Amino acid sequence: MASRRTTTVAPTPPETAPPPAAGPAPRRVRSRPERFAPYIFVAPLLAVFALFYLWPALVTVLSSFFRWGLLRPWTPVDPARWRFVGLDNYTTTLTDPSFWNAALNTAVWLVVFPLLVVGFSLLVSILIWHITRGATMFRTVFILPLTISLAAAGVIWSFVYNADPQIGVLNAVLDRLGILGAHWRVGPLELHPGSWLSNPGVLHLGFADIRLTNLALIVPAFWAFTGFGVITITAGLTAVPYELVEAAKVDGANAWQTARRILIPSLRRPLIVVGVVSVIFALRTFDIVYVMTGGGPAQDTMVLALLLWQQAFAFLDTPQGGQATAIAVLMSAVLVAGSWPYLRQLMAGRSR
Amino acid sequence: MTAVGRSRWVTFLLYGSLTVLGMVWLVPALSALMISTLPLSQTRAGWWNLSPADLTFGNFARAWEQGLSRYAVNSFIITGLAVALTVAAGSMAAYAYARMSFRFKATTYFLLVTTMIVPVQIILIPMLPWFRTLGLNAAGPQEYLGIALVHTAFGAGWAIFMLGAFFAQIPEDLLEAARIDGAGWFDVFRRVALPLAVPGIVSFAIIDFVFVWNDLLLALTLLDRAHQPLTVGLANLQTPHLAQEDLVSAGTIMAILPPLLLFAALNRFYVRGLFAGATKG
Repeated sequence: MASRRTTTVAPTPPETAPPPAAGPAPRRVRSRPERFAPYIFVAPLLAVFALFYLWPALVTVLSSFFRWGLLRPWTPVDPARWRFVGLDNYTTTLTDPSFWNAALNTAVWLVVFPLLVVGFSLLVSILIWHITRGATMFRTVFILPLTISLAAAGVIWSFVYNADPQIGVLNAVLDRLGILGAHWRVGPLELHPGSWLSNPGVLHLGFADIRLTNLALIVPAFWAFTGFGVITITAGLTAVPYELVEAAKVDGANAWQTARRILIPSLRRPLIVVGVVSVIFALRTFDIVYVMTGGGPAQDTMVLALLLWQQAFAFLDTPQGGQATAIAVLMSAVLVAGSWPYLRQLMAGRSR
Repeated sequence: MTAVGRSRWVTFLLYGSLTVLGMVWLVPALSALMISTLPLSQTRAGWWNLSPADLTFGNFARAWEQGLSRYAVNSFIITGLAVALTVAAGSMAAYAYARMSFRFKATTYFLLVTTMIVPVQIILIPMLPWFRTLGLNAAGPQEYLGIALVHTAFGAGWAIFMLGAFFAQIPEDLLEAARIDGAGWFDVFRRVALPLAVPGIVSFAIIDFVFVWNDLLLALTLLDRAHQPLTVGLANLQTPHLAQEDLVSAGTIMAILPPLLLFAALNRFYVRGLFAGATKG
């Protein structure tokens, strides 16, 4: 790491060489304030972290074993009012069809969104990597939506999707092509281009019908988030020597072979980063759905994050707080378990 | 980069496909921009049919008067406060995690890093009663502090991860030299380490700004109407049955601009910082 680089500048005997990023090197006599210094440095952040993250998270987990509603929230300091129900909130949640509907929609997000982001940002990054003039400009175009809030992206895409071909640009294009309002049936797939936010199509799978309205909401999130992929993959590409690609070309490799054999293997780490972060992003999806459809029509676009929010905050009269916290715990457990290998890798890289 | 033996039509294909994709990428934002600068009647006739004479800033003025000004002020206060707190507490902690050893370092580091992964939902539900206990909900300016502190807690993982990468790059010799010169531990941090980490701190501050500015979920849940930021204002305006595309689009453009301008002004910092945080182990 960096400290190793400095030893090449000014060679020091090995016993005084600092361990990389692990702490103050020479453990000489440390004065008392110096021994306390690290604790003073971490205290403010850890205090805020404990008060506004650890404690509420703990309350969430604990309260998921009790029955309560938002009007009389569960508190750890008032045992007289506890109504312990064991795992009831979890069994109720896991047998609730609206939970499984939201879980299915979230699963569609978890599969489609990362694939779109990784695939498209890889394609765009490699295309831009091959050009000289205008590379920065093109990169900026794809990165800029990253700064746009998902709430704003939802509004923007509501304009694009507007059903009226005099307002919505997408339907205006379809109108010119003469396919607005068409009904197509291709095998199990049914499509109605035009009604993007109400019912753009259905995938008939025999055991279940998957409505494609979800996909119409994934596109704005993908549009906004691709910039992250472009930044990360471009950063990874700067480490690939262009001569290697030229050598491959001299050896007669075509563009596809070059990408598959040279670029993609050397982009393993950035691709994993983009994939993992996209999965985390997809499971948290709330803003886009809240702004564009509110989970409708008829729960077609409901995702777990919004279902949880509605159970906790939108229906004040029913005591569903416990079930909402159960969903929160399940979501967090899935994310932590899923990203565990990645977390371990992060830990190994930094702190001992 | 040199293009050895690249035929002219490959170059044409590269630029052609990038131009098409880039235009597709720009159209949504362009459509919002156009709708925001046209009278509603013109929007109804297709913004792509506009004549330059129709352009107006009236929508912005009306949106501003109809309450967006308050949302915008709230956005700036919440974001400014949250970024300041996160940068202050975060850079000190990141320095300690990168350059010092202490008890429970690995455990607390692990806990902090989980904030990058665990969804906000895990704290959302008990937060309002908790604010009431702490006196942070009573409709007043303390609401700003409350949500800023939650943002600080959730930025903690990114702060020590990203800023730590920058503090770790500082040569130990420099810090050691300052110590030999008699600088105390705080002076070493403030006079040597902190100035050297400024590029990292700036890029982190920008990312944190964009992140806090764009938050909808926390603001929607924790704040009353008088203290809500622009994202919530947009969500409230965006009701499908009310025809007010002019106001909604103007609000959207106003909400987009601050982070966009900040990003554009400090593009270099931003990209470098995100790279350091995202791809280096």
